[in-house]
Parts: sequence; C-alpha cells; structure tokens
Amino acid sequence: MAKAETCFHCALPIPANCDIRVDIGGETRPVCCPGCKAVATLIRDAGFERYYDSRERPEPGAVRPAQDAGEWQVFDREDMLAAFATRDDNAAAATVYVGGMYCAACSWLIDASLKKLPGIASADINPVTHRLRVEWDTESIGLGRILATLADLGYKPQPLAPDSTERPERAEQRTALKRLLVASLGMMQAMMFAVGLYSGEFQGIDADMERFLRLVSFFVTTPVVFYSARPFFAGAIRGLRARRPGMDVPVSIAIGGAYVASVYSTFTNGPAVWYDSVTMFVFFLTVARYLEMRARHRSVDRSAALASLLPNTATRLDGDTRTQVPVTQLAAGDIAMVRAGESFPADGSITAGRTSVDESMLTGESKPQQKSEGDAVVAGSVNLDGVVEMRVDVTGTDTTLGTIGRLSERARYARPAFVQLADRVASYIVVAILVLAAAVATSWYLIDPERAFVITLSVLVVTCPCALALATPTAFAAAGSRLSDLHLLVTNGNAIETLSRATHIVFDKTGTLTRGMPEVVATVTHDPDLSEQDCLQIAAALEVASTHPIARAFTRHESAITATGIEIRVGAGVEGVIDGRRWKLGNAAFVPGAAPAPPDDSATPVFLGTDGRVAATFTIADTLREDAGKTLKQLKKMGFSVSVVSGDGAAPVAQAAASLDIDDARSSCTPDDKLARISALQQQGEVVVMVGDGINDAPVLAGADVSIAPSHAASLAQSSADVLMLGDSLQPIVTLMHSARRTMRIVRQNLAWAIVYNVSAVPLAAAGFVPPWLAAIGMSTSSLVVVLNALRLSRIR
Amino acid sequence: MSILYLLIPLALILLAGAVWAFFWAVGNGQFDDLDTPAVRVIMDDDERPPDDETR
Repeated sequence: MAKAETCFHCALPIPANCDIRVDIGGETRPVCCPGCKAVATLIRDAGFERYYDSRERPEPGAVRPAQDAGEWQVFDREDMLAAFATRDDNAAAATVYVGGMYCAACSWLIDASLKKLPGIASADINPVTHRLRVEWDTESIGLGRILATLADLGYKPQPLAPDSTERPERAEQRTALKRLLVASLGMMQAMMFAVGLYSGEFQGIDADMERFLRLVSFFVTTPVVFYSARPFFAGAIRGLRARRPGMDVPVSIAIGGAYVASVYSTFTNGPAVWYDSVTMFVFFLTVARYLEMRARHRSVDRSAALASLLPNTATRLDGDTRTQVPVTQLAAGDIAMVRAGESFPADGSITAGRTSVDESMLTGESKPQQKSEGDAVVAGSVNLDGVVEMRVDVTGTDTTLGTIGRLSERARYARPAFVQLADRVASYIVVAILVLAAAVATSWYLIDPERAFVITLSVLVVTCPCALALATPTAFAAAGSRLSDLHLLVTNGNAIETLSRATHIVFDKTGTLTRGMPEVVATVTHDPDLSEQDCLQIAAALEVASTHPIARAFTRHESAITATGIEIRVGAGVEGVIDGRRWKLGNAAFVPGAAPAPPDDSATPVFLGTDGRVAATFTIADTLREDAGKTLKQLKKMGFSVSVVSGDGAAPVAQAAASLDIDDARSSCTPDDKLARISALQQQGEVVVMVGDGINDAPVLAGADVSIAPSHAASLAQSSADVLMLGDSLQPIVTLMHSARRTMRIVRQNLAWAIVYNVSAVPLAAAGFVPPWLAAIGMSTSSLVVVLNALRLSRIR
Repeated sequence: MSILYLLIPLALILLAGAVWAFFWAVGNGQFDDLDTPAVRVIMDDDERPPDDETR
C-alpha cells in the first residue's frame, strides 16, 4: 500500500491513525471506516467481488454506507404500497430513485443483488437517470426488504410516487432514435439508386429502368420526408406562427420543395429527381439533432434531486398514537415526531423538545444550530441529537426547500441571453436565404424558366446552414465526451462558450475549497499514561452512536474498545463507561476541568475528560483541500480574478482566504447576498463562474454565468450546475478552463470555414454552375470537414 | 438487367423487415441503456447456475 491511501470502497481519503482493512480478491485493502468495511464484506460474501474489478473510479463518498438502516420495514405496509407502487393482485411495481450510483458496475451490482432476493419479477435500472424499475410478488417479498437491500449496499434508495416517472424523456429518446434510423437507411438506399440514375445519365439507360429506379427512390424517400423530417416541418410552422422563423423554415422549404418536385417529375417523366439530395439533407440534420438531444438529456432530473433531501416517511402523532406515514400525507397542522439523525419532513416549529439542527445544506452555516420549543425548522435540515415534536406548517413544494428549488429553476430559465441572440441572428440569416432564393428564382424564370427550379433548389441546398449548424454542437459534443473521460460532466450546452469568456471565478468555501467534513486536526494529551491513539480510540467508542457531524470526525477511526451506557447530552457532548471508568467527551462547559478556549469560529475544541479532569483536547476543523492552493495559483496565472463568498463566519473565511492568497473574501453571506454579489460583478462587466456545493448555493449557481459543482454536492446544487466535477480534487477546473478556450477556438475555425464555403458556393449556385447533387455533396463535404475538425478536441489532455 | 425488377423489390422488403425489427427493439427498451450490457457480459462470464447456492 505505497500509494496515497484512499478507501478501497468509497474512495474518500483515509484519516490519519486509522487502520481498518478488509480482504477482497485475495488482497488486504484499506477502508476508511467500519461502515465501508461492512459494505465491502457484504459485497464479498455475496459473491460480487467482481464489482470492484469492473467499476469505474468511484466518486469519493458516493457509496458511503447509510447512517440509518432499519427504517425500511415501514414500506412493507399496505398504505405505503398504495402510495409508492402500482399493483395488480400480488404483482406490484415501483420506481425507485437510487442515489449514489455512478457507473455501469453499480447497476450490475444492484441488478445482481436484487435478483438474488426471492419474488423479484424484474429489475431494470437506468444508470443515466438513476432510476430502478422493480416488479415483485407481494406474497414473497415486501418493498421494505428491497429498499433495505439497496441501503445495505451503500446506496440511498428513494421510492418515487408513481406519477413522477421518466416517460416523456424516454419517449423522446426512442422516437429520435427511430427517426435517425429511418433517415439513415432511407439515405443509403436512395444514394444507391441515385448512383444508378447518374450513371444512366452518362452511359444511357432504359426509359423503363429509369422510371423504375425513380419509383423505388420515391418509396424509400417518402418515409424519410414524412417521418424523419417531421420535426423540421413542425418547427417551421411553430417558428412562422411565433413570427420568428428559425433554420427550420428554409430547411423545410428545401426538403418539401425538392420532394414535391421529384414526385411530380417521377410521375410525369420530368427531367430530373432529387431524392438523394432530400434524404442526405434530412439525415445530416437528424444526426445533429440527435447528438444535441443526447447532451440535453444528460442533465440531472431536478424533481427527484429535490425530493431526495426529504425523508421518505414521517412519524405523525395523533394524541398518543404514532403512525408512520409517507411524507406526502403530512398536512399543515399535523404534529410530527423527529428522532435524532432524521431530517425534518416539512417546515414548521418545534412544539416539544430541544436539539441541535444541521442547516448547512440550506444556509451554508457549518455549525449546528440550537433549537428549542417555538423555534422554526425547515424541511430537509437534519435533526442531530435530540428527539423533538414539531407542528407542520408548510409541506411539499411550498417549503423553503421547494422555494429554493423553484428559484434556481427560474434563474436557469431566465438566463440564456446568448441563445436568444443566436436565434435572432438565425432568423435574419433565414430571411436573407429566402430573399436570395426568391431573387434567384425570379431572375432565372426570366432568363430560362426551365432551369429556374433546379437552380433555386441548388441555392437552397448550398446555403443550407448545415455546416454552420454543425459547427458548434459537434465541437461541444466532442469536448463534452472528452471532458467526461476526464471526470467533468458538462450538463449545459452553453457552458463551454461562456467558460471561454469567463473573467472571474467565485468559490464557495465549505465543501468546495475545504473538504466539508470536520476532521481531527490536532490531539493534545494531558495524561502521560494515554497516547494520542488511545484518546482517539476512546473518543471513537463514545461517539459511536452519535449522528452529530463532529462525531463523524471520530467515528472514522475504528475502535477496538466498546463503551457501555452511552448517553448523548443535547448540545453538550456524550458520556459513557469504558472499563469501569466514566468518560465525558464534549465542549468546555460539559467536561469538568476544561478551560474554555477563546471563541474561534474556524476550529472547534473538543475535550475528553474522566474523574473530573481533562485527559485530552482535540481540535476539530474543516481542512482545505490539498490542491486548492495550486489550483488557485494556476487559475490566477491564466488571468482569472478569484474571490470567495461563504455563508460561514468571518474567522474561518479570513483564515482560508489568507492561506490561499485571496484578497476578495466575504463571509456570513445568505444566498441573497451571494446572488447580489454575483450580480454586482456581472454589472461591472465580469463573466462570473461560480463553484459551490450547497443547497444554499443553488440559486447562486443558477444566477452565475456558469456554475460548477463538485460531485459530492447536494443534489439540488448539482442540478443547478452547468458542470459537475467528479472526483475529490479542484484540479479539473484548470483543465476545464483550458479546454473551454480550445473548444471555442475550434468553433470559430468551424464557423469561419462554413461561412467561407457558403459565401463562395452561393454565387456559383446562383449562376447555375452547381447541379443539386453537387450542391448536396458540397454541403456534406463541408459538414464533414467541420465534424473532423471538432473531433480533434477528443485528444485534449 | 431485368433481374433488378425482382431484386430491388426484394431488397425493399428486407429493408422494411429491418426497420420493423429495429422499431420493435427500440420499443422493447433495448436501446434505453447502452452502458450496462457492455459490462454485464464480462461480469456474468463465470456465473454459476442459479440453483447452486453453495459458493
């Protein structure tokens, strides 16, 4: 194990002083915590070791074992089944959103594990949308067992209500694929017969055979025009109705005109047919549309991402009776009980109990908030240590969480000024093409009416903005697929263009520049009999039952010791008995003899005490990523201004900014402050890139010109982001910036070539030197040049 | 060359058959997930028969 150690199962870095190992595939592998060890052992014992051989490099933390298993039995109940599944006697079916899966090996593992269970009729998992469609026999197995199986493997299952399935996208994808196939087969056939017809022109051909070949071409072209090209006609009609004609208008005129003229010619023995040009034209355009659609579907599904923050079920109190209900059945005025470690199911206020709450996903504040009777709580925040009862005020999409979701959605739709500009320019070009074609048609009608149609058709085909239309999407598609090999997912087509113009990069602090998980950064023992290792082991044993974020800093160290009689003191710490001695772990007020440290936002002191004195002091802090400094230096060298906005307190932000040499750092920002800061920068003419990971960053991410989220980011932040970084490093940002600039260079070359081609070909076509078949070949050659040039991008390093 | 009057319609019938088969496959979900099957074929290579639960 000479390499830098990361967990064999979840790929997170292994904390110092941690030595947990597991035997997989005949080798001893290091893992980062007892949970990962349990999952790895489970996978091995089930005979699925091959999962580790064929999976891609995992996103660190993606397959972290679940904190709370055991909540799943409730899904076996009839009313739960009614809420999440459709059923037909004993056969039931449900759709489950599987959080944490990231590659084909994951879907294999899930598939194989489910098929080992009795009574599973089918399990279809889509690794792109992360949705599992499972059908089972209610006599032999319940939904709870299925979900528990997924949770045991380290995934985060989330049953979806039957109406929120993926139908529209899947239908669109399937139809597009069929249209593409019809167009490509039709094109090949039409080309083949066209070769016959053209050689006939030169060598002579039977009149009967010519008629026959034309008729056959008519049969293969008709489905291409009426099926594959339908979206172009529909788009043209839409564009004309909206008085904003797009590329679809001249495309439709060329396709429709050439087709109708060819049909007329076929049945009246006219001089020529243009079926080959029609099918080739439709095929190239359909390919471009298909590639564009694939890229669009990559973006993350927002509704499921939002829902995955809420718990699946809530405990409703009706007087003294407790009922587990699906969270969708909670209504305003209900009283719900929330245990430690659960998330709040709705917005409301606490009616009984006291606890601390982790609202970091919503506010960016990394420290837990103390809440007691009367305090407001928001859906999605996590109840850390006490049991509380809450009155439900607002549920579902009206909650703060839902509002943030809507806010980021709106910001996302309000943005693309660049796209609107492109559309406006396109409609001018379209009008210009139509005017030109009309002028050519009229002039030739006066000069030589017989040739007027053929020449007008050539002009329409030659001016086909095909290379122009392919210039950008092919370059983006090539860059996008190369970047995804480099663990960068581009989910928004415009992102690359904007990135190449970016001037200012704004970073969030917690979870972006820092790791976002508290770690033990220093251990001081005050007892000569105890080593640092001993103290960490005792602390880990005491914290084993706690869900507090600080506890996680300790529980990543495996402990051979067990503590008994552990009691969690809300807002103070934990205590328990080890070998007959009573130990306390917590803040200065809780551990007797501890000297209160001066308040310091950037690090939290935690004291370990026994027998009325302090045995050790731990310092817990969120540490900077190792490559943060190097990355920022490289970005500055490339000419970007860099600043930090954070919801965190002043001290930790200032400290991070100082060690990273950033002048412009703002602390204690609400999402509104962050958005305002970004708008201010944009008004100064800066093109702003935002890098952030929290839910609270979601509106900001959507408001920035381009946004980047690390893969461990909250789902909502991911869905608002234009680019997702997989992997636990900031270095990809530098690659991203370089390749964005390079991509735009290629796009400019492509556009220049397309324009030069069109400008030089149009006069020739208008002068009647270009027959339609040559126009079609010229058009495809120019498209080919553009595509090949774009493919150079797949060699980015 | 008159054989073409037979062969070309024959080719068109085959073409129609191919399109039909492809449409059926798309409708059956064969093209919905293009990533997993590529890996599955390698992984399932040494799968035991389902009744052998001893491993």
